[in-house]
Amino acid sequence: MNILTGFNLRYGLAILVLCSLSPSWAWGVENAECLECHSDESLTKESTDNILNTEITESLYVDEESFNHSIHNDNGIACVDCHADIEELNWDEELPHAATLESVCCCSCHEESAEEFKDSVHMEIRKKGVTMTCYACHGYHDVKPMEAALVSERANSVCLKCHNPAHTHDWLPAADSHFAFVECVVCHAPEVPRTINLRFYDLVTNQFLSGDQLLDTLGIEYDAFMTTVDTNGNQQIDTDEFDDLILMLKQKDVHAALRAELVAEINPLAHNIRSGSAQKDCGNCHAADSPYFNTVSILLTNADGSIERCTIDRSVLQSYYVNHFYLLGGTRVKLLDKIGLLILAGGACGAGLHLLGRILTSPIRRKKSKK
Amino acid sequence: MHPQHALNQQMDYVHPAPVRVWHWINASGFLFLILTGFQIRYAESINLMTLSHAINLHNYVGFVVIANYFLWLSYYLGSGKIKLYIPDLRRVVGLAIRQARYYGFDFFLGRPNPHTMTAENKFNALQQQAYLVIMLVLLPAQMISGLFLWKVKGYEEYINLLGGIKVIDTIHVLLFFFFTSFLFIHCYLATLGHTPLAHFKAMFTGYENHH
Ligand code: HEC
Ligand code: HEC
Ligand code: HEC
Ligand code: HEC
Ligand code: HEC
Ligand code: HEC
Ligand code: HEC
Ligand code: HEM
Repeated sequence: MNILTGFNLRYGLAILVLCSLSPSWAWGVENAECLECHSDESLTKESTDNILNTEITESLYVDEESFNHSIHNDNGIACVDCHADIEELNWDEELPHAATLESVCCCSCHEESAEEFKDSVHMEIRKKGVTMTCYACHGYHDVKPMEAALVSERANSVCLKCHNPAHTHDWLPAADSHFAFVECVVCHAPEVPRTINLRFYDLVTNQFLSGDQLLDTLGIEYDAFMTTVDTNGNQQIDTDEFDDLILMLKQKDVHAALRAELVAEINPLAHNIRSGSAQKDCGNCHAADSPYFNTVSILLTNADGSIERCTIDRSVLQSYYVNHFYLLGGTRVKLLDKIGLLILAGGACGAGLHLLGRILTSPIRRKKSKK
Repeated sequence: MHPQHALNQQMDYVHPAPVRVWHWINASGFLFLILTGFQIRYAESINLMTLSHAINLHNYVGFVVIANYFLWLSYYLGSGKIKLYIPDLRRVVGLAIRQARYYGFDFFLGRPNPHTMTAENKFNALQQQAYLVIMLVLLPAQMISGLFLWKVKGYEEYINLLGGIKVIDTIHVLLFFFFTSFLFIHCYLATLGHTPLAHFKAMFTGYENHH
């Protein structure tokens, strides 16, 4: 479902426009035709690199399996949609297309991302002679849907190809905790909308529960999940509704807790990484009223990488259902504050009352010591 | 026997130097830990200092308090004086009841304290029990949970074993409230000497005055 809605008007239009510009390919070239040659692992091309002027051998193999699981294939983007300068294959020639093809412009379909990328540090470095392509981060034949990805599979692993954050975050206490729970761009592209992703974690098997497993256990369909859980129909799982859900799972012998992460939404603004503008103010996250946990949702992940997102009341973060995620101050358990107040008041009252008794009875002791 | 002890029979040398040093480092350490602890937990409503200062300060002072704890432990274990903290099991119940009666009743009537502080028998039965639990259970628990919070990723395995970071934090925070409350009472009870400041002075000079 998600994928279909993701395939929004924008891309539909872009493709329509492309179609009308070059009608020849649209009906012609199937992926299978390209793969007749390019699924051969030994297919290579000799060329001269433009840096050292030496002979290099490039592989021209395309992993079909991996391509078929990519988000582009899922959305019907074919080889020639990207390699758009191949208008048709000329089977009379040994090589049915031009020997040298133009480089693929991701921006022809992803205008907004390209726009945000334009002013980022990673474009700035062109001035120093370093060219960064879109696929330096995303890859090209195997772009996977990112929404379901864990922090460790997201930008955090991508950025590590080139950066070693251990050297640049000395000022950040518990930096490795931040890298494990916060996606780099949440801080580095501060305008990007963000969300707390919660996933069910099975405490018995020590594994994440996929959406399918969960729904199988409950014996319901995806469409029925929210209507079953969200009994008051406000489109959000409230804390009491969540209590009920956990109870239902317990009755089916599933002991689940929630694991949380702070990630960016899949949004073009994630590209707007600039030097010196990252989020440095601890209080923006480490405070109970932090805007960083305005959206909290439970992810039900499908095998194909798509997800179902269910909004949940942010106060679940302050409960003991989310035990493996705690931002000092930020997601604190409010009940503890009340207990604390009682303990402090108890101590203060004890001392205060004794002092009062002491003042009131001081005449007695004075009389006694005179004797 | 300490030379001055002989000179003045009224004064009893109850707090040897290492204990006094430990005590004041510990007290000021606690004060800082409590202030910074409040700042860390209630960042949105307290503005003593920035959160990162509070955290760094809290961590440094935390380590001072830990090191200081080992000063205390090695002094008491090394000198064998740890027995000051061990209640006599056969008599402790009766003594504790008498002591509680003193604090809650006899004291107001000006009756004498059933316990006399001497170098060999420094704590009354209530103090013995409270300090024993604090020094051997609660403070170590506070220190260990604090260490875990300091390197969450490094101690991940232990933390997970204990049920997660929030469980560790709950321990740390409940003890924090306990210690803060304890501090009120501790300071107040310290004014119950023969003059309100007598016990405080003793913790500087080492000598407790008897008459
Ligand atoms: C008949 C076999 C065959 C088919 C079919 C074929 N290719 Fe190729 N392709 C080759 C060979 C051989 C080369 C290497 C050319 C060279 O050595 O210069 C190549 C090179 C390429 C290159 C690299 C070009 C460059 O600039 O380095 C791309 C991209 C490519 N093909 C894409 C495609 C696409 C997309 C299709 C389907 C529309 C396709 N090919 C169909 C054989 C084929
Ligand atoms: C999302 C866009 C996209 C799609 C879809 C796509 N490619 Fe590519 N392809 C690229 C990019 C980007 C490169 C990197 C070099 C460049 O810019 O031309 C590339 C490079 C290649 C190369 C050169 C070898 C290599 O791996 O670098 C071959 C061959 C190729 N593609 C074939 C195919 C075939 C066959 C298909 C369909 C099964 C396909 N491509 C689908 C974007 C795409
Ligand atoms: C420095 C790494 C990096 C580079 C370079 C990069 N991106 Fe991204 N891109 C990201 C991140 C991070 C996200 C957000 C997803 C996430 O949170 O993991 C993203 C998201 C996207 C999305 C999904 C946005 C949406 O609204 O659906 C698209 C499309 C995209 N990038 C295209 C591009 C294009 C086109 C380029 C080149 C102009 C590019 N990216 C260059 C890191 C990069
Ligand atoms: C012919 C149009 C087209 C081209 C060219 C193209 N894409 Fe896409 N891309 C799509 C469509 C359609 C989607 C799926 C809709 C969506 O999620 O936004 C998509 C989705 C994505 C996503 C989002 C993944 C997610 O989790 O939502 C990324 C990242 C991405 N493309 C990167 C690239 C990169 C990098 C290139 C260049 C190598 C590229 N695209 C070239 C059409 C294109
Ligand atoms: C392909 C390599 C590459 C990848 C992947 C990459 N970067 Fe960069 N990044 C660079 C280069 C090169 C620079 C320029 C360094 C300089 O100017 O000293 C840079 C600069 C930066 C800077 C500014 C550094 C400065 O000195 O001002 C930040 C912040 C940054 N990148 C964050 C990220 C994040 C976050 C990601 C992941 C989403 C990422 N980068 C992915 C290569 C990369
Ligand atoms: C808690 C927020 C936060 C997180 C999470 C974070 N960073 Fe940073 N990072 C910063 C801040 C703040 C700076 C200081 C420079 C600035 O203001 O841009 C910085 C500096 C950097 C720099 C050097 C920039 C310079 O100007 O020297 C790089 C590179 C970088 N980060 C990459 C990363 C990568 C990669 C990740 C993910 C593994 C990451 N950061 C995670 C906040 C963060
Ligand atoms: C973008 C939001 C964000 C910002 C900004 C941020 N943090 Fe964090 N911080 C987190 C998250 C998320 C965790 C991981 C929680 C966990 O380990 O379960 C964390 C963990 C920590 C921890 C480890 C203890 C714990 O709660 O798990 C410390 C200490 C910490 N942060 C201090 C700081 C300081 C100091 C700053 C400012 C210099 C800062 N943080 C800025 C989000 C943030
Ligand atoms: C004895 C050694 C101690 C150590 C090593 C220690 C360490 C820590 C650490 C690492 C944190 C997490 C924040 C940070 O990184 O600073 C923390 C939080 C805290 N500490 Fe300590 N601490 C110690 C003792 C104390 C004491 C004695 C108190 C108060 C009596 C205290 C009160 C607090 C409070 C209130 C928090 C905030 C917890 C929250 O926000 O939920 N700590 N401590």
